[in-house]
Amino acid sequence: MKRKHFRKMESEIELDLAPLLAVMVKLVPVLLISSAFVQVGVIETELPQVVKESIQDNKDQPDKRIELVLKENGSIEISRSANGALENFSLPPSASGDFDLALVRQKLLELKEKDTTLFSVELKPEAKVSYSKIVKIMDTIRKSPNGTKFTVPGKSGAAPFETDLMFPDVVFANLFSKG
Amino acid sequence: MPYRRKNRLLEPKKTGFALNVTSMTDMFTILLVFLLQTYATSDVEVKMDENLRLPSSNSDLNPTRSVQVSISKTELKLNDNKLVGLSEGHFSPADIDQNDGFSISALATELQKLSGENEKEEGNIFVLADESLDFETIRQVMYTTSMAGFPKVKLATVIGQ
Repeated sequence: MKRKHFRKMESEIELDLAPLLAVMVKLVPVLLISSAFVQVGVIETELPQVVKESIQDNKDQPDKRIELVLKENGSIEISRSANGALENFSLPPSASGDFDLALVRQKLLELKEKDTTLFSVELKPEAKVSYSKIVKIMDTIRKSPNGTKFTVPGKSGAAPFETDLMFPDVVFANLFSKG
Repeated sequence: MPYRRKNRLLEPKKTGFALNVTSMTDMFTILLVFLLQTYATSDVEVKMDENLRLPSSNSDLNPTRSVQVSISKTELKLNDNKLVGLSEGHFSPADIDQNDGFSISALATELQKLSGENEKEEGNIFVLADESLDFETIRQVMYTTSMAGFPKVKLATVIGQ
């Protein structure tokens, strides 16, 4: 009698995985269909209030601006005007004939360090410059390399603000100039 | 007794076909975890085609619902409706407004209709442009949208590639 009872305890329990499998078979196609594998983003930045105020200030002071002329041959002309004085820089193309992004980043970092309240850049690409190259330039100048922080003085007694944004506000200045 | 044994031998054998679903369940579990991890949805539905390859960017902002203009190498679409054809990424002179010399007539007409209808869009426009297009083509579209009451242009890119 005792032996019989022992044998019953040993019996295996078989788990029925069929319903679980049925759920998974339905769930996998649903996820495959509804998921966005290529994620689309937007080039437009949601900026901190201090940065927004500085951008507005930049717009109110038309003589305080940085202009980037993107040439078809891969060279870039940078002009910076501040307090009536105008500085011009010419950046040669890279060895491959494209825009030298490292050089652009370095030059704009220098200009940013001179005046941390500057956030706007006027882009003037020539007609034949490809769209992907313009996007690369915008990417390069948006944020500082290696997370370098700039201290932006606060307005009307507010505390200074630190940000790694270089030139997030890009304006296509030659949009309305024909020819 | 021998008769019974013989009869039992003649009976068809009960052969149950038991499918082992454990390995299949394992596979589906892994697949499900992977899909849930990479699952991403977007508020805006973007239809890609072979002539429209967006440039990649490190900007990771999600697009918001607004009027969509897509420019591929072969056509210009407004909210998925083809308006104008392009040849090798350029508009033909016939599609350009003769008085203005720069704006795209068909796009300007359609956008002016939309600007009256959708006040809530607040002048936002979402531009999907092929990465190989020249700035000249993009500029013509941006000029037209600005003149038609959609000055806030948002450029669509593919996130981090």
